[in-house]
Amino acid sequence: MRNKYSPIIIVAVTGLIIAGLAGCAEVQQVAEDTARRSGDQRLAQTIHGAGTVVGGFLPIGYEEEQSIGQAIALQVIARSGGVVEQPELTRYVNLVGRAVASTSDRPDIPYHFAVLNDDSINAFAAPAGYVFVTRGLLKQIRNEAELAAVLGHEIAHVSQKHILEVIQRSKRLAGVAEAGLAYANQNPQAFKNVIDAAVKKLFDEGLDQEKEIEADALGDAFAARVGYDPTAYVALLNRLRALKGDDRAFFKTHPNFSARISAVQNTIQSNGWKANGVLLADRFAGAGKI
Amino acid sequence: MRHQCALKLWLPMLIFFFGGLVSLAWADTVYVQAKTAKLRAGKTSLDPVVTALKYGEALEILKTEGSWLQVRTSAGKTGWIFTNYTTTVKPSGGDDELAKLGQSFRRKEASDTTASAGARGLDKVSETYAKGSGIPQRYRDAVDRMTAYQVGDQEVEDFIKKGELGEYAK
Repeated sequence: MRNKYSPIIIVAVTGLIIAGLAGCAEVQQVAEDTARRSGDQRLAQTIHGAGTVVGGFLPIGYEEEQSIGQAIALQVIARSGGVVEQPELTRYVNLVGRAVASTSDRPDIPYHFAVLNDDSINAFAAPAGYVFVTRGLLKQIRNEAELAAVLGHEIAHVSQKHILEVIQRSKRLAGVAEAGLAYANQNPQAFKNVIDAAVKKLFDEGLDQEKEIEADALGDAFAARVGYDPTAYVALLNRLRALKGDDRAFFKTHPNFSARISAVQNTIQSNGWKANGVLLADRFAGAGKI
Repeated sequence: MRHQCALKLWLPMLIFFFGGLVSLAWADTVYVQAKTAKLRAGKTSLDPVVTALKYGEALEILKTEGSWLQVRTSAGKTGWIFTNYTTTVKPSGGDDELAKLGQSFRRKEASDTTASAGARGLDKVSETYAKGSGIPQRYRDAVDRMTAYQVGDQEVEDFIKKGELGEYAK
């Protein structure tokens, strides 16, 4: 049986992969173009394939994240029966959210906030900065500091790329090298499968519990950095526990309230934060109440 | 004689070099963790802005007073920053280099699909996904509007100021 590729081609491709990993995807593109111009289509395809494989092992970039985020946002909105169309409320939630995002550990991407037309008590984040709070949760919130911490929790999921990790994991499980723009273009059905798996995880199973605890701590820190009272979030979680209890059925997607309250209190204590009374209940009552 | 000359030349350089290392090791450094943080001439929000600071920028602490830090930037500018807008751990922020590299490998195949990425509303990939998943047009419009919704940095700053939050607290 004749070897499919000559040793020279194998060496050339290996070299190009190494060059690519060293930070030069353009080198690969030039080599591919050169091979194509010289009429060696097989070599060009091999170089192209090698680049795709290398790219598949690397993390998802922002433009790709945006496509994934929009696809998940579509599902979140569709499952929740749409968004609340109240211009003043939309503006207010966006202002609070963007204030908190500006002191997050990923302030350099555009964040988008909306209220879901859903009476259950929940909030969601999708990659690339899509953040949702349900009408039901907004009804339980009493002041701007509580809203800031809730949005902070979701912003932390985005900044820590928690959902992207799920995507990376599910595409690997599916034996797929890519979950980005090119992949979606070539194989929309497989892209759909990866997105649907991530949505199922988000809605039905939830992220890992330690990710939720991490998001609680970070989200409260982002809100506190803006100037909101860091203890406001504890007050909200306490009220939700009184309302819902620590029933596991309710918490299929999150750790129970007692565990979350304890974790947030530990974060407040270990950082030496004090209650500062900055709640902005009046501003919330004027613009954020639903 | 030649050795003595060399020693005379090297000794101040060695002192300067190691002295520099020691001062670097002793200087307390914080990093900016706010998108629109400002270095002010005094320790109130009413004091004039010396310069706008970049996210992640390193600042050398000179003094701490209440909720404010007197700092020096790497460009040598001195002023005050509200403590909450700093962190002792350098924030990572944004895409890491591996993510950018991975995207650059995949981008060339996707050049036609990225045409609308970053522009207003849904991009082509999510539009294709919406059609393939049977997502109704009104929900596509909702994500479209959400993506296109604009709030400027200055509006956010004014909102923080109006709420007397952070450095604007009275």
